[in-house]
Amino acid sequence: MSGYDGSVNWVGLWTIIRREWSRLMRVPIQAFLAPWISALLFIFVFGFVVGGRIAQIGGHRYLEFVLPGILMLNIVNASFLQSTSQIYFSRFLRYVEETLVSPLSYAEMIAGILSIVVVRAVITSLGILAIAAVFGVTHITSIGAFLFWIVSVSIVFGLLGIIIGLWANNFEQLTMLNVFFITPLSFVGGVFNTVNMLPGWMKGVAYANPFFYFINGLRHAMIGFSEANEWIGVSVALGLSVVLFATVWRLFSVGYGLRS
Amino acid sequence: MPLPFLPDSMTLALHVSHLRKVYKSGTVAVDDLSLDVQPGDFFGFLGPNGAGKSTTIHCITGIATPTSGTIEIFGVDAVKDYREARKLIGLSPQEFNVDAFANVTDIVDWMGGYFGMTKAERKTRVDMLIQKFDLVPHAKKKFRELSGGLKRRVMLARVMINDPKLLILDEPTAGVDVELRRDLWRYLQELNRDGKTIFLTSHYLEEVERLCATISIINGGRIVRQGPKAGFVNEPGGLEAAYLRATGAEPDHVAAPA
Repeated sequence: MSGYDGSVNWVGLWTIIRREWSRLMRVPIQAFLAPWISALLFIFVFGFVVGGRIAQIGGHRYLEFVLPGILMLNIVNASFLQSTSQIYFSRFLRYVEETLVSPLSYAEMIAGILSIVVVRAVITSLGILAIAAVFGVTHITSIGAFLFWIVSVSIVFGLLGIIIGLWANNFEQLTMLNVFFITPLSFVGGVFNTVNMLPGWMKGVAYANPFFYFINGLRHAMIGFSEANEWIGVSVALGLSVVLFATVWRLFSVGYGLRS
Repeated sequence: MPLPFLPDSMTLALHVSHLRKVYKSGTVAVDDLSLDVQPGDFFGFLGPNGAGKSTTIHCITGIATPTSGTIEIFGVDAVKDYREARKLIGLSPQEFNVDAFANVTDIVDWMGGYFGMTKAERKTRVDMLIQKFDLVPHAKKKFRELSGGLKRRVMLARVMINDPKLLILDEPTAGVDVELRRDLWRYLQELNRDGKTIFLTSHYLEEVERLCATISIINGGRIVRQGPKAGFVNEPGGLEAAYLRATGAEPDHVAAPA
């Protein structure tokens, strides 16, 4: 069923954003303070203490090199956790029914969820940048590219989080993708090292890892250092966004995980 | 709130034709169910637990996907044109389906927002409804902090935010005290007198007898009897006996009070 008449229910969309912002503000420590403290520890230990003993990489201090990776880890986590919890709790507490009985299109429902995902990712990133500035790292080569990577990656993982939130039937299932897929791939995607530092057989694996292109793209936007063509990363991010959005829209339209 | 779609007054408020709902488990909850509700009717939908009342309501309102059959709200297909259909309908569900950590004002206001009401429209309507349902002292309390009766009032305030043309109430007085029940009856009668179509499910036969003009009884997912209230209450033993007969129970098994 489509039910789409071409008009956008802007007030309805804004209401989803207001509701989710209100929900987010009930847990500011979990949503913002926790990733900021975690980033502070990463920056201090890996970037400042350990990094102080590491030679420059591509003409950049190790702290400057590692910061985009730390940022990307937190963007991925914030986005994924935001959308999984939005969907899962609305199903668990059944208030998803409020939107199901309302004249909202599926695209509006998805856009509402993604809007707050992006807001959370941007606020998390700004906080981490402020912490990095305390350690003297403030460099951003291209603001436009920097924003592109934050927004596009948060949309990709926001959409992935929606799928998991629709699929999960318990808290254990909510964390499975994060534990077995997101965290391992993001850590081996070049957060702390260049691809050249990896053993030969792992270099090929790194180039097949989408996280590598996201981190590489953000790193290029911040310090101009790149180990791959950034347009591959742009294509991966945009391609995944389109495919995942179409998948989520389809799941909403058939009522997967939403309607009985 | 003005509705972009203004239905013909002669169109049925609700037309359900050959509705069937089979859950993934294989359970047939509703089977070949057809019913019509006239505009302005106060329609009582009765049946024992598990008969298919809530499933029927969920299919009408979009919470469940019908397996087959058609549903029209004032002539609008509730599946194909669901956005238009949703603008005409409001549901107060049997189970509380709210963000229990949100406060009362937000719960009512957000629902108005989903329906596209402007901030000014929502403010006027929320204030009026919070007053109407005696929720003023509780307006900023979290839903989870409220008593069962107060929660039920919030559900009713929420469903009235967009002044739906077809009001569906799934056991709206379950767990509320006598005073609120009487107040609610008066309010619903007022609404119905003003032309609102009301579709009510309840286990309180007294409530149905007092409020409804038309009664439909469902059992085992099928409509087993339907018609004007007079046809039920004028039978020997009244509505209760008619209900028990329709659902396959024996009225004689109900002991008379000593």
